[in-house]
Amino acid sequence: MAEPFISTPVMAATAQSPIADALLPGEYGNLAIGAQVALSERFGLAICDVCAWPGLETKTANAIKRATGLAVTKRRDAVGEAAQGFQHAPGRWTVIAEDPSLAERLTRAVSANATVVDLAHGRTCLRIAGEAGTSVLAKLFAIDFAEKAFPVAKGLATSHHAVLAQIQRVDAQTFDLLVFRSYARTFFHALTRASEEFGYRIVPPRAGEPET
Amino acid sequence: MSGYRRPSGGKVIERGKSITFTFDGKQYFGLAGDTLASALIAGGVSVVGRSFKYHRPRGIVAAGVDEPNALVTVLGDGAREPNIRATEIEIHDGLVCESQNRFPSLDFDMRALNQLGGDALAAGFYYKTFMGPARWPFGGTRTWMAFERQIRRAAGLGRAGTESDTSRYDRVNAHCDTLVVGGGKPGIVQALEAARKRRRVIVCEIDPTLGGYASWSGDPDISAMITQLQAMDNVQILTRTTAWGIYDGNAVAALERVSDHRRDRAPGEARQRMWIIRAGHVALATGAFERPLVFPGNDRPGVMLASAAQRYAAMYGVLPGKRIAIVTNNDSAYTSAIALKARDANVITIIDLRSEVSGGARSIASVAGARLRTGQAVVATAGTGGLDSIQVAPFDHRTRRPTGRSEGISCDCLLMSGGWSPAIHLASHAGGAPRWDDTLKAFLAPEDGRDLSLHGAAAGDFVFGAGLSPAPAPVYEVRAPGKAFVDFQHDVTADDVRLAHREGFHSVEHVKRYTTLGMATDQGKTSSLPGQAILADALGRPLEQVGTTRFRPPFTPVSLGSIAAERFGDLHPERITPIHDWHVKNGARMVAAGHWQRPECYNRWKESVEQAYIREAKTVRRGVGIVDVSTLGKIDIQGPDAAAFLDRVYTNGFARLPVGKSRYGLMLREDGFVFDDGTTWRLAPDRYLMTTTTANAGPVMQHLEYYLNVIWPDIRVHLTSVTDQWAAMAVAGPHSRDVLAAIVIDTDVDNLTLPPMGIVHGRIAEVPVMICRLSFSGERAYEVYCGAHHGAHVWNALIAAGEPWGILPYGLEALGALRIEKGHVTGAEIDGRTTARDLNLDWMLSTKKPFIGSAMMDRLGLVPITRQALVGVVSINGEKFHGGSHIVESANPKKPGPSLGHVTAMCYSPVHDRYIGLALVSSGRARLGARLYATDPVRSASHVPVEIVRHVMVDPSGDRMHG
Amino acid sequence: MIIPCPFCGPRDLAEFTYHGDAARAAARPAHGSTDQEAWDRHVYDRRNPAGSHAEIWQHAGGCRSHLRVVRDTRTHEITETTLYAPEVSQ
Ligand SMILES: [Zn+2]
Repeated sequence: MAEPFISTPVMAATAQSPIADALLPGEYGNLAIGAQVALSERFGLAICDVCAWPGLETKTANAIKRATGLAVTKRRDAVGEAAQGFQHAPGRWTVIAEDPSLAERLTRAVSANATVVDLAHGRTCLRIAGEAGTSVLAKLFAIDFAEKAFPVAKGLATSHHAVLAQIQRVDAQTFDLLVFRSYARTFFHALTRASEEFGYRIVPPRAGEPET
Repeated sequence: MSGYRRPSGGKVIERGKSITFTFDGKQYFGLAGDTLASALIAGGVSVVGRSFKYHRPRGIVAAGVDEPNALVTVLGDGAREPNIRATEIEIHDGLVCESQNRFPSLDFDMRALNQLGGDALAAGFYYKTFMGPARWPFGGTRTWMAFERQIRRAAGLGRAGTESDTSRYDRVNAHCDTLVVGGGKPGIVQALEAARKRRRVIVCEIDPTLGGYASWSGDPDISAMITQLQAMDNVQILTRTTAWGIYDGNAVAALERVSDHRRDRAPGEARQRMWIIRAGHVALATGAFERPLVFPGNDRPGVMLASAAQRYAAMYGVLPGKRIAIVTNNDSAYTSAIALKARDANVITIIDLRSEVSGGARSIASVAGARLRTGQAVVATAGTGGLDSIQVAPFDHRTRRPTGRSEGISCDCLLMSGGWSPAIHLASHAGGAPRWDDTLKAFLAPEDGRDLSLHGAAAGDFVFGAGLSPAPAPVYEVRAPGKAFVDFQHDVTADDVRLAHREGFHSVEHVKRYTTLGMATDQGKTSSLPGQAILADALGRPLEQVGTTRFRPPFTPVSLGSIAAERFGDLHPERITPIHDWHVKNGARMVAAGHWQRPECYNRWKESVEQAYIREAKTVRRGVGIVDVSTLGKIDIQGPDAAAFLDRVYTNGFARLPVGKSRYGLMLREDGFVFDDGTTWRLAPDRYLMTTTTANAGPVMQHLEYYLNVIWPDIRVHLTSVTDQWAAMAVAGPHSRDVLAAIVIDTDVDNLTLPPMGIVHGRIAEVPVMICRLSFSGERAYEVYCGAHHGAHVWNALIAAGEPWGILPYGLEALGALRIEKGHVTGAEIDGRTTARDLNLDWMLSTKKPFIGSAMMDRLGLVPITRQALVGVVSINGEKFHGGSHIVESANPKKPGPSLGHVTAMCYSPVHDRYIGLALVSSGRARLGARLYATDPVRSASHVPVEIVRHVMVDPSGDRMHG
Repeated sequence: MIIPCPFCGPRDLAEFTYHGDAARAAARPAHGSTDQEAWDRHVYDRRNPAGSHAEIWQHAGGCRSHLRVVRDTRTHEITETTLYAPEVSQ
């Protein structure tokens, strides 16, 4: 077993989401034309921060690709079947995956090119999907959500007042938001309040796939 | 005024769809599409408010956002919103409005007696009467203080509500290539042009429908253009939306009135929405405001702007009177005359201040059937309640004075036009001074570097019809006896402006402040130019040299709710630890510590906070307690230079700290004062976990990032905030090791394996944990770290394991009491003014290496032993003293003498069985054993004898925590 | 105000934290310097120009990079933004 500071995989039996009580599946708000937004938590994911040493960004991107199969490069973010990755700061990637061994695989793959920090517990991943998704997000973030400015797979770092957030566009109408765990409950409340006028559905945990 | 609705016509109203609303408690009917103003005019209401100072009856003057008089209060669900322009309120069933500034009622206002006092309330009245030294018994600031309530009630606008506003307000960010402000014809042209180039376009229009002047002046092309624009998929049209401010980077603030025009709102629907639009280019097509003329009695209900009457007739099928006279200094009023005539209005006469009038204008007057009186002016108005007649006299526009006998004309409506002022407000928000255009007799937008353009009337591009000139005669005032108003909303007369001039106010900005001209809620939309012209006359200077006052945001008043928007209620985000729900379920009294929610104490039944923390602290000293310390800042520090970096940021050494050990560290600021403290754990040769105080987690991270990014870019270290990654709990007390031994597996926790400052990795109830032996309380203690999602699980396991030893949770208060006894410093002592020496931490200042602050910490002034230093204080007679008390030498509470310092923290000490505290006291170390007093004269009136002792008041040898 | 972050693109002022005069940071005495006067100047002396000013901003609510921003203090016009980053060749 790795030292806990290298990786502390989320153990389903003992882990607790900070927004478990707020995630009551159902439909809420203005449902005159049905729920136009679906909200869910992607709980229990492996989440890592990978930070390249100066000059070793390309090698680091390649290492992430080897470890996860994601087609990330110095210039391109990626959304894959089992993992997602995006550069949120110069030479610095967020990688998320279902596989609990992500941190160890990344640590091995990057070797001396970069450092890896396990954030599986430190960040809460929320998914917002549906037609009104960008309208809801526009209330919380001063970011241009038009596809031309924010294409699929791109990820970025921004903030809603004091709450830092990383956002990745999973597909045209689906976004994953990573917020600090301690702010997750407050932020989820803001998210549901902003969604009310469009009508929203809370999707049960671990079922946060895009609406079809 | 005897306004009425014509049997047909009205572009935006729906005939046959009657709406019921309430104004001043009385029920009225209007039609769907009406504004409150159009419905009141149609209902024959002429007086809609009382004026600001003189309480004169006032009627509707304008038809749009520039309305100065018809301000009403809209009553919602318990909330009231004052000062809303009746010209912008769309009526709907159930709308309830009140007129303002009247007592007891609109028709009979006792304060109208003010005007009998004549000049008593002239310019500068408040300054002259109430400011400055008192000449007893009257005058001066003292008098102001005595009469303020009365005066504020008498002079003022609407009254704000006291109920909380339950409506929702939203804030939305938008981005576009082109933002068009104003949905009239020039705006639509700009929007279409940009949209055809596939630009992303947003159009803001104040009114419910697009079209503006083109709509109500009957432009034949406008409907097709609107349809075209609405069909473009790259154009977002925001109606009922006022762009009210433009800021750096072409960021425009706009207020959308989402549901004010409806009785009901959908779930979650906002009342108003604040748009923050970041635009590549801003195209202002904001139109122009018609100016009133200044003549005696120009404020009588029934006197209105010419274009406003035209607009009421075209849009709402409403005519403001049965016999209409027009007074003008320019050609545009002739356009209004013919438009009114086309809608069956009886325009009896046009009075033109100019002696020469163009042929085009003359022929329009004759088509309109109006008798043209050139070189004449209105010198008085008369009527009771409304307008009955006007006095007209020959007029010399050079002297601004009548030159002959006046003649009475019977009419119930007088329309005025003083020319047009382009609405350049947004263009001048950025700061440039508007330019005077001497042809148009108007100020045009300043040229500045930003990506902004003006179009249509906003750019001075006026189209009033063939043969008509856009240029008015430069005369705005008729000087004849009687009150002639410049600023209707603030009751400023032409004489007030001249009085200000005589008293030495020569700059427009000073005259504005002295007379309050243009300082009302309409910010001088109608009044500013006539006021400046009168000042220019008085100064004997051309108007362009007088200049105009600067326009500032907001363009129209903005509700505070819409500015707070989503921050209402959530203004302060709550940050919670993984164990938060357990605390709440187990009776913790939660308090805010920055954004964090932390347990203050766990009150038992009928227990006070003090009783609770004393019990909790005793438990830690005698048995074992557990406290949630997940809020500590935690920073992952990795890289080959990690040790060297820590040696630079901490005052003490970290390079030789062995892996698997932690060390207490102290940071200074660049100026040599103490910044923060905390423990840092070496987890691997090139990896550390730094902890910071809860309050300084963010600042410390920024501090470290600054040095790495800016000052020492070649140091190879990476920082990551892992505050939220780890749940942290401290198990403290003589039995803490017993509890851990009972539950921790995969490692021993005995003194050999886990000595003070040691770190081990193990598991608790299946969960991997890191345990570091650290003590803040002075007892044997351990900090247990685990993945945050597992935090509640591990906490529960520790509580269960501790049951045989009576483990209890403790909160911030007990934590505070324990650290005061032990003399540990926190933010109360690290207050930005204390040095390491002041805090008895000089033993932590390495002499073997430089560190941040080392060059500045020994400056003159930071080293004298007379500085305030950290000491302990103990109540001598058992009496309670208070945090923040000053330490003084005098036993006399009435004459406490100079302060020697202050108490930074106090508590009841279970160990000493009395009140103790920490204090910063000058020459502190030299005063050990001294008897002084903790005095708190203002708050608690306490004056308590205390003994000055060493700051470590429990276990100075450290045997308890090392054992 | 909108600051164009070289990494993130144009972002709202609210995402940034001000860190003062860039010239002052560049003139920080070497680590370990004991030149008291140089330290005094570094810690306390501030230029306050009306006009072009090179200053440091951290994109704290975004990528957390530090930027060198040249801004006109009278108009808030930003003429230059560069990242503080170690110089390397890949
Ligand atoms: Zn950035």
